[in-house]
Amino acid sequence: MEERPLRSCEDEEAYPEESSAGVGPPEIPLTTRISTYLRTYTKSKRHFTDLLFKIGLGLCALLVIAPFFLILIEVSSTGFAVVFGSGEGEGLEFFTTYPGGGLTGGLAHAFIGTLSLAAVAGIAGIPISVLGAVYINEYTEAGIVRSAIEFAADVLAGIPSIVFGAFGLALIVDVLNFGKGLMAGGLTLAFMMIPTILRTTQEALRAVPMSLREASLALGATRWTTTWQVTVRSAFPGIVTGVLLAFGRIIGETAPLIFTAGNSLRAPTELFGAGSWVASVPYTIYLYTIDPRPYLHPKAHAAALALMMIVFTIDLIANYISIKFTRRLV
Amino acid sequence: MTFDEKDQAYEIDSEMEADVGIFARLRVGIQNWIDDIRYAKGPARKDLLGRFILFIPAVASIFTILMILLLLVYEATPIFAHPDGGLGIIFDSTWAPQLPDNPSYGILIFIVGSFTTTFLAIGIAVPLGLGGAIFLSEFCPAQIRTPLKMIVEMMAAIPSIVYGLWAFVVLRPFMDDAFAPFVQTNPLTSWMPWFQGSLKNGYSLLTGGVILAIMLLPTVVTVSYDALQSVPGTYREASFALGATKSETAKQIVLSAALPGVGAAVVLSLGRAVGETMAILMVTGNNFGIPFTLFDQCYVMTSIIANQMGAAYNRPIWRSALFSVALVLMIMSVIFTLIAKLFIRWGLKTRGMS
Repeated sequence: MEERPLRSCEDEEAYPEESSAGVGPPEIPLTTRISTYLRTYTKSKRHFTDLLFKIGLGLCALLVIAPFFLILIEVSSTGFAVVFGSGEGEGLEFFTTYPGGGLTGGLAHAFIGTLSLAAVAGIAGIPISVLGAVYINEYTEAGIVRSAIEFAADVLAGIPSIVFGAFGLALIVDVLNFGKGLMAGGLTLAFMMIPTILRTTQEALRAVPMSLREASLALGATRWTTTWQVTVRSAFPGIVTGVLLAFGRIIGETAPLIFTAGNSLRAPTELFGAGSWVASVPYTIYLYTIDPRPYLHPKAHAAALALMMIVFTIDLIANYISIKFTRRLV
Repeated sequence: MTFDEKDQAYEIDSEMEADVGIFARLRVGIQNWIDDIRYAKGPARKDLLGRFILFIPAVASIFTILMILLLLVYEATPIFAHPDGGLGIIFDSTWAPQLPDNPSYGILIFIVGSFTTTFLAIGIAVPLGLGGAIFLSEFCPAQIRTPLKMIVEMMAAIPSIVYGLWAFVVLRPFMDDAFAPFVQTNPLTSWMPWFQGSLKNGYSLLTGGVILAIMLLPTVVTVSYDALQSVPGTYREASFALGATKSETAKQIVLSAALPGVGAAVVLSLGRAVGETMAILMVTGNNFGIPFTLFDQCYVMTSIIANQMGAAYNRPIWRSALFSVALVLMIMSVIFTLIAKLFIRWGLKTRGMS
């Protein structure tokens, strides 16, 4: 469907009549091609508008992707100098040392912080969303309950991240009295993982053929056994894809962490209390960027480069898994 | 029992089934459950218990939404009940909660700021993104379509803080050094009322709108691209057969068939734009005032929460005013999601596709 070539009337005219006599695709000289193009597009006002429209759309597409390269060039030109540099807090030290006086060292605290926040979020968020998706896909018929849950997941996906931050502050920090830190930040992120994982897991489960379930049930297996031994097992790559995509999303989130995770220049040492205050890569980028001290800006660029590379890698792996394994099923 | 009696009993039964209220049905359901668990043995019992346990995470998303709404309403109640506050704060444009006597909690400037940046961003992103999507779907050679789509997907994956960093380091100086002097000295554009005012270090409504537009582009492109792709190829062929050119087909056939999907794309990106925090926080200047030109500074709803929630943590009324802003944001995002769903339903109804 996607790759099917669609030709309008003028495309046919791009190939001269005599070329069809030869064997195989004939070589058309560039000059002939250009002249046919010119002839086609100046034939009437309509054809000329067609050409202008095409050029305009091509420019739109160029403008759409231009920011990507501008950002990549800006971030990597400064960032590579830090990541491959040899000064204090540069090179490998950028990832392994804590910041010293005047924030001169590396950003190990931020990388460790982001990793531990993602771990807490994953431990809390993955089971809830995967089990929820399994329930609504395997145990309910299409109806009010299912559409209500799906709608809730869609709304949850659309809620601004800063509202999640305010919610985390009100519920986890205040009402549950966890205090700021690793747990509060991680649990806030866990709420943000729910919609992505829920919807992708649902898609993956839906792609499992009904005949597999029926075969298992016909052999006398209970629904519970069928779900876990047959359905979830064959939908597993899709579920992993969803989990990875959700991680890719929450790793870059800043706003929910501003008032829930606190900030610190060291790795967290405990789960609750003052020792659990934790930095994260995005928040550190924010702080370093708006800092008036100019030597912090290259570090922000390098952290942004690292963050982008982490997110891209996660997305690439997720894409690879979904292409490699989901094809096999059908 | 005669046949008649049986018939009658059956009729009564079906009548009862139709008439029983939700509570009676629930009671019967629960009774069945308890009976099932009581008499089930071995694997069957495990099956039932598993089903029961799975139900809890399934309602977690509904529960989360309700909890967010409840908590926001609970936290925002003090400001609406306070003599300095009330519902009038939505139309009050003075924000001065830190004053010891006579504090003021008007949130109008944030709502106006959010709307102006959002509409500016939509105005830039929708035409560009739609054009890009039409190019990708209708005109793009197959060899460069996959890389283009990959780039757009990667743009969607870039964290907002990286966009913010770029806007702060590149876009802001560009606006200050190149764009503003160019449009303000050029006789063609210098008379325009929206180019008046002086730019302070590049912090402006325009900078915020542009970076927001860049962040919306991937959403607009992917959602409209999917909508355009779902238009059957036969429509295009029919149009070509009638002698229409490619661009006429794209404009009048494909685009109008995909209109609901494009509408959904616009509404979804509206929701994204209103909720975006970090990038816009760094470049709009955060000045308490209503922007009148593109070069004025502004303050959006997400920024005020991000900037002041820490300071207001222990001042109940101030904090409550910030939560009322969060409540407004939440309600807006729910409304946008609803409208997007309606667009998709409209598409299903009138076009038979999503």
